[in-house]
Amino acid sequence: MDTSSFLVQQLINALFLGSIYALIALGYTMVYGIIELINFAHGELFTAGAFIGLIVLAALQKYGFVQTHFVLTLFLVFGMAMAYVGVLGVAIEHVAYKPLRNASRLAAILSALGMSIFLSNGMMLSQGVSDRAYPALFGLKGITIIGARITYGQVFIIILSLLLMVALNMFVNWTKLGKAMRATAQNQVMARMLGINIDRTIRVTFIIGPALGAAAGVMVGMYYGSVRFDMGFIYMIKAFAAAILGGIGSIPGAVLGGMIIGGVEVAWSAFLPSAWKDVTTFIVLILVLYFKPSGILGEDVSETRV
Amino acid sequence: MRKMGILVLCLAVAVGFSSMAAAKTLKIGTLSPLTGPYAQDGTDILQGVKTAVAVFQKAGGIPGYKIEVIPGDSACDGGKATMAANNLINQGVNGVVGAYCSSATIPSSVPLNEANIIQITPASTHTDVTARGFKQIFRMCPRDDVQAWSTVKFLEDGLKVKTLALIDDRQTYTVGLTENITKFVNEDKKIKIVALEHITPGDKDFTAVLTKLKKLNPDAIYMGVYQPEGSLMVRQAKALGIKATLLSEDAVYHPKFIEVGGKAAEGTFLTYAKAPDTPERRNFEKTYKKMWNAQAIGSYGYYAYDSAMVFMEAVKKAGTTDTNKVAATIRDNTWNGVSGKIKFDEKGDRKLAHIIWIVKDGKFVPYWDPMTEKYF
Amino acid sequence: MKQGSEMGNGEFKKFIIYSLFLGVLILPMVGFPGTHFEAKRAFIVWGVFVGVLALGMLNQVVRQSSIYQKTLGGPQSFNRRVTKQFQKIPVRHWTLILLAAVAVYPLLANNYMVDVGITCLIYIVLGLGLNIVVGLAGLLDLGYIAFYAVGAYTYSLLNLHFGMSFWLCLPIGILLGAILGCVIGYPTLRMRGDYLAIVTMGFGEIIRLVLNNWDSLTKGPNGLLGMAKPSIMYPAFSNSGLEWATYSLKSLHALYYFILLIAVLTVIGVRRLDQSRIGRAWVAIREDEVAAELSGVPTTWLKLLAYAMGAAFASVAGAFFAAKLSYTNPNFFIFMESCIVLCIVVLGGAGSIPGVILAGVLLIAVPEVFRELQDYRMFAFGLAMAVMMVLRPEGLIPATRRKLGLSDIETDTIGELEESYQAVDSRT
Repeated sequence: MDTSSFLVQQLINALFLGSIYALIALGYTMVYGIIELINFAHGELFTAGAFIGLIVLAALQKYGFVQTHFVLTLFLVFGMAMAYVGVLGVAIEHVAYKPLRNASRLAAILSALGMSIFLSNGMMLSQGVSDRAYPALFGLKGITIIGARITYGQVFIIILSLLLMVALNMFVNWTKLGKAMRATAQNQVMARMLGINIDRTIRVTFIIGPALGAAAGVMVGMYYGSVRFDMGFIYMIKAFAAAILGGIGSIPGAVLGGMIIGGVEVAWSAFLPSAWKDVTTFIVLILVLYFKPSGILGEDVSETRV
Repeated sequence: MRKMGILVLCLAVAVGFSSMAAAKTLKIGTLSPLTGPYAQDGTDILQGVKTAVAVFQKAGGIPGYKIEVIPGDSACDGGKATMAANNLINQGVNGVVGAYCSSATIPSSVPLNEANIIQITPASTHTDVTARGFKQIFRMCPRDDVQAWSTVKFLEDGLKVKTLALIDDRQTYTVGLTENITKFVNEDKKIKIVALEHITPGDKDFTAVLTKLKKLNPDAIYMGVYQPEGSLMVRQAKALGIKATLLSEDAVYHPKFIEVGGKAAEGTFLTYAKAPDTPERRNFEKTYKKMWNAQAIGSYGYYAYDSAMVFMEAVKKAGTTDTNKVAATIRDNTWNGVSGKIKFDEKGDRKLAHIIWIVKDGKFVPYWDPMTEKYF
Repeated sequence: MKQGSEMGNGEFKKFIIYSLFLGVLILPMVGFPGTHFEAKRAFIVWGVFVGVLALGMLNQVVRQSSIYQKTLGGPQSFNRRVTKQFQKIPVRHWTLILLAAVAVYPLLANNYMVDVGITCLIYIVLGLGLNIVVGLAGLLDLGYIAFYAVGAYTYSLLNLHFGMSFWLCLPIGILLGAILGCVIGYPTLRMRGDYLAIVTMGFGEIIRLVLNNWDSLTKGPNGLLGMAKPSIMYPAFSNSGLEWATYSLKSLHALYYFILLIAVLTVIGVRRLDQSRIGRAWVAIREDEVAAELSGVPTTWLKLLAYAMGAAFASVAGAFFAAKLSYTNPNFFIFMESCIVLCIVVLGGAGSIPGVILAGVLLIAVPEVFRELQDYRMFAFGLAMAVMMVLRPEGLIPATRRKLGLSDIETDTIGELEESYQAVDSRT
C-alpha cells in the first residue's frame, strides 16, 4: 500500500464515518434549534431505528423476499424504521418534553436523560444484552480506486446519507412547513403571533430528526453487521459534539461538524498515537468553541457582553 | 370508590418482593456485571453457576444441604462491587464466584477476605488479584502472562511470523495481554513488533487504525479486544483487504464472534483453554443450552461452571463449610473440570496453558498445542 | 413566579394518554427478540412501565382527591403546605433529629447497609458540591466526576509514591481540584448554558482518558492499589506514660462516621456559602447574568469561584473514595457517574440542600433495595425520572429562595443585596 492509496483510503474512511455522524447530528441540531433542549434520548432513538430495521429485515429474509426484491427491501427497511422512530420521537416529546416547555431547562434535560435510560434499558430487556447480528445485505465485495477499497455497502450508505441531507435542506428552505420551522427556531413568540402553529411545527421536527437518526441506525447496522442496545451512547456524544461544532441550529453546520469530527478522528488515528483519539475530538471542539462560541456556521448566540 | 380502586391497584403494582430463608443451605453468591456494557459476559457467569448447581444437585448434591445461588451485580465498578460483596456477606454466603472485571474483583475481595469467604474468580486475570497474600481467593482462568506465553509461542514456532502488530482497547485485561506479549517477544528477539495501536471500547469503526496497519503490512495482527469489537474488526479487516493473519484471545471466544463476524471470522486464531471431550462437558453443554434456551455458550460460562463446581465438590469432600478447610481442600486436590484439569498453586492461580483454536466452517476448532508443539 | 409543579387536569389526562401510546409504541422493541413475538418478556416490561405510570397517577389522584383537598391541599399547593409545616418546627430541631438518626444508623445496621450508607454520603457530598455550580450559579456541568477523579488520584499517587498521609493529601487535592476547576471554567466563561454541557462533558472525558492513557504515572487501566486508610492520632496511656497512638479508620463503621463528618461539614459549608454575599451573587448570575453584571457583580470571577468551590468538594469525596477502597481505576469515573450526580441535584431541587440530601438517599439507596429486580430497576428508574420531572419539575424539595417572588422580599433585603454586591465588587 503506497502513500497515495493510503491517503485515499483514509479519506474514504473519514467520509463514511463523517456522514453517519452528520446524519445523527442533524436530529440534534433540529430539536435544539426549535425547543433548545439537548435530546439525550436521540442516541437511543438511533438504536431503536437499527433494531426496527433488523426486525423488518429478518422477517423479510425469512420469507425469501430479500433475494427477489432487493430494492424494495431497502425501501421497506429504511421506510419502516424511519416511520416508526418518527412516531416514537413524537410520543416521547409529548410525554417527557412538552409538559416541561415552560419549566426550568435543567428539568427538561433530566427528563431527556431519564427517557434515554428508559429506552436503552427497555431495549436491553427485550433485545438482549449481547450483540445482534445484522443480515449481510451487501457483503464485503467492493471496488478499488487508486489502491483503496470501498465496499458497495459504503457507496450506498454515503450516497443515501447525502441524499437525505440534501432533501432535508430543500425541505427546510423551500417548503412552507420548513419555513415555519426556521421561524419557530428564530423566535417562538413572534412565530406564534404570525399564525404559525408552534405545536405542529415542533411535532414535525420530532418526526424528522429521529427519523434521520433511525436511518443512520439502519446504516450502521447494515454496514458494521451488529447492533447492541447501548451503541447509541458513543454516537450520541460524537454527534452532539458535531452539532455544536457546526453551530447548533444550523443544518449545513451539523453536516460540516459531522464531517470534521469524523475527519479529525480518522486523521488522528492514521498519523498519531491512536490512544488519544477521543481526547482530540474534545480538544478540537473546545478550541473551536473558545474562539468562536457560536460554532463554525452558527449565528452569534453567545451571551451579549456589556 | 373508583378512586379507591385505582389506589389499591397502584399499591398492588408497587409492592416489592420479599425473600425467604431456609434452614440448612449452602449459599453461593455470584458477582458479575449484570448491567452495563459487560452484561453479556456477566449473565453468562450467573447462568454458568446456576447450571452447575442444577447439575450438581441432579447428581446427588450434598446430603442435608439445600443449595442456593444469590446473584450480585458488580457492574464492573469498584464501589458497586464492594457494596454487592457486603450484601452477599450479610446474606451469609459460603462462597462467591466472581467478579468479572479485575477493577471490580480487587476492591470486592477485601471485604470477602475480611469475612473469610471463599472467592473464585472465573474471569479476572490481573496479577494483583492473587498477589496480595489472600488465602481464600482462587482464579479459574489463566493469568495474562500464561496466555501471552501461548500466543507468543504460537507466533514464533507455529506460524513463524517475522512482523507483528498489536491492537488493544486500553482496558485492564487487554493491556495486560499486549504488555506481556511485548515483553516475551522482546526477550526472544525472533519477531519485530511494528505497531501498537489502541481503540476505544464501544466504537464501531476501526478502519482508520486498520488502514494504518495495512500500510505497515505486518505478517500477523494481534487483536486484544473483547468480542463485540473483535467481530467488527475482522469484518473491517477483510473489507479493507488485509491479508495478515489475525489472532485474538479468549474474550473473543464467544459464539457471537462467529455469528456477527460471519465469513470474515474464518481463519482467525484464538487462545483458549483446551476443551476435553468428556461426558461432563457434554452434559454441561446440553443442560446449559436447555436451561437458558441458548444456541451456544460463552467462554466465561465454562469457567463459571467450573468455579461453582469446584467449590461445591470441595465442600462435599471436606464435609464442612468451614472456609479454611474448604480452601485447603480446593488447593490440595486436582479437579476434573469442563475446561480441563484444575490444579491451583500456592497463590490460588490455576496451572493452565491455553491452546490455539481456529475458526473453521463457522465453528471453533482446536488447532495447535503450544506445550507439545503439535497440530490437532 | 410560575409554579411549574402543578399540572392541570386536562394536561394530565393528555399526559397519561400519550404515555399509554408510548407503551404501545415500545411493543416492537419489547416483544420481538428476533422475528417471533415473546409474550412473557413483553408483559414483564409492560408491567414495569404501567407500574411506574401507576405511581405517577397515584400521586396525581391523591392530590386531587376530596379528602386530600380538605386536609392538606387547600387553596395552597402541596409544596407550600409542606414547607410551611417544616418551617413551624425550628430548623435546628429537625436537623438534630436527623443527625441523631444518621449517627445511630450504623449501630443498628449490618455491614452491607453501612456500606450503602457510606456510598449515599459520598454522593451527597458530590451532589452538594455540584449544587454550588448547577443549583446556585446556574452553570450546567456534565463533567463533574473529573474532580472526583482528581481527588482520588491525588491521594493515591501521593500516598503510594511519597507515603504522604491522608490529612496532608487532602488540602493538596482540594487545591488541585480548585485549580483544575478554574482551568475548566475559564474557556467556558464566554459560552452560554448549553454549550457548557458539551464542553464540561468533554473535559470530564479528557481527564478520564488522560488517567487511562498515562501509563507511567497512573498505571493506566490497571489502576492504583494499596493506598493506606486514613488514620487519626490520639493520646493514650501506655507503660511509658502518655503518648500518641494511631487509630486507622479501617472498619466500615469508622469510615461511615468519617464520611458523615465530611458530609456534615459540607452541608455547613455550602449553607454558609449559600447565605453569604457570594451565594446571593451566584443566584443573581443564575437568574440574569447581564443584569447581575450591570449591577456590579463580578461575574467572571464568581463563575470561576463556583467551579473551584464545587471541584474542591468533589476532590474531598474522591480522596475518601480512594482511601476507602484502597484502589482506584479510571473506569470508576465515567460519564454516567456525572449524570447520576446531576440527577441528584436536579431531582432534589437545584439549589436546595435538603433536596440534594433526600435525592442522594433515594438515588443510591432505593436501587439497592430493588436489587432483586436486577434488570428492571434501571428501566423503571429512567421512566420514573422522566415522570418525576414532568410532575415536579422543581425537584422534590424546591429551594426556598427560588420561590420568593419580588413582593416577598422586603426592602431592606434588597438594600442588603446591593451592599453585598458592592462589597464583592470592591474586593476584586
